[in-house]
Amino acid sequence: MRIVNAGAATRNISIVRFLLVPLFLLILAGCAPKSYVVLLQSPDGTTGQVVVSGSGGTQTLATAGQRAPLDGSTPASPMKTEDIMAEFAQAIAARPKIPTQFLLYFTGGVTLTKESAALIPAIIAEAASRPAADLSVIGHTDTLKSDEYNDQLALQRAKKVAESLSAKGLKALTMTIEWHGKRNLLVQTPDNTFEPKNRRVEVSVR
Amino acid sequence: MRGLILMVALLLAPCVGAAGEEPIGYVKTITGDASVTTDDKKVVAAVGTPLYQGSLMETGKKGSMGVTFKDGTVMSFGADTVFKVDEFLYAPTQGKLKFASKLAKGSLNYVSGVIEKLKPDAVVVATPKGNIGVRGTQFLVVVEE
Repeated sequence: MRIVNAGAATRNISIVRFLLVPLFLLILAGCAPKSYVVLLQSPDGTTGQVVVSGSGGTQTLATAGQRAPLDGSTPASPMKTEDIMAEFAQAIAARPKIPTQFLLYFTGGVTLTKESAALIPAIIAEAASRPAADLSVIGHTDTLKSDEYNDQLALQRAKKVAESLSAKGLKALTMTIEWHGKRNLLVQTPDNTFEPKNRRVEVSVR
Repeated sequence: MRGLILMVALLLAPCVGAAGEEPIGYVKTITGDASVTTDDKKVVAAVGTPLYQGSLMETGKKGSMGVTFKDGTVMSFGADTVFKVDEFLYAPTQGKLKFASKLAKGSLNYVSGVIEKLKPDAVVVATPKGNIGVRGTQFLVVVEE
């Protein structure tokens, strides 16, 4: 008698589960977040992280193609590539070309090395490929001599590169000249150290 | 000395926005209706429109807009989007690094720049539902009202 009852109960639970599971999934689908973030691979091939925090908690996304609601209420879950492309087609299509950097080196003073001088036309071509190109030209030095001396030298180097770009026909919306002197070393050295890799101008083309 | 920046206008001088402030970025792509509002002055966005700290970017029902910032951050907005730059500090030699912004509604494609590489907690995109902390990557976000 008991055994039969137990069997009947099991059958009842199975029927309930059979009905409830699809219902539960339907409710879940109805609750798919309308405000959410999707992590993607960066244009440079790496993937970093985003952390969302809201009234529902905090979630970390570390895998490309995952999404999570902005209120942080549920963990990250995969989103199909075609769904991502459909939802974000306009924003993705509007993405400007990713900015690029050039490093130019000096034999000493304000004279560019032969290899770096040859990059001037490449920078001009890069700017021409972009709408309303804007450039930053930032001068740097190694740590020989004083701050004041190196600020002046870094400025002169940046000016020299900007002048070369203009003279060779750069077309751009704006170009800003900045100098970091010996405060922004590419290769870390003690003070008063000769280091050719720090004698440079960085040109960013956006 | 180190805070000084020389502006060299090659083709046309950028429109003056907030007095004395340098642009922090420029509009690079546009489709349909899009605008930029700085200091309560709203202009129809065009390729080359400058952006400043406090600028509000908006796109219309069929609009989209792509912008780049001075630190190399790239953003693009889909239709019906409202996005504001609250704070943008990019002075690496002085350690001043911050990028705080707000996506009120719409969609955004974000590609990281240099600020968060130098200072990992310096970049936050706020939304009405929650905040997004960014650690050197690309992401998409949509906010529905």
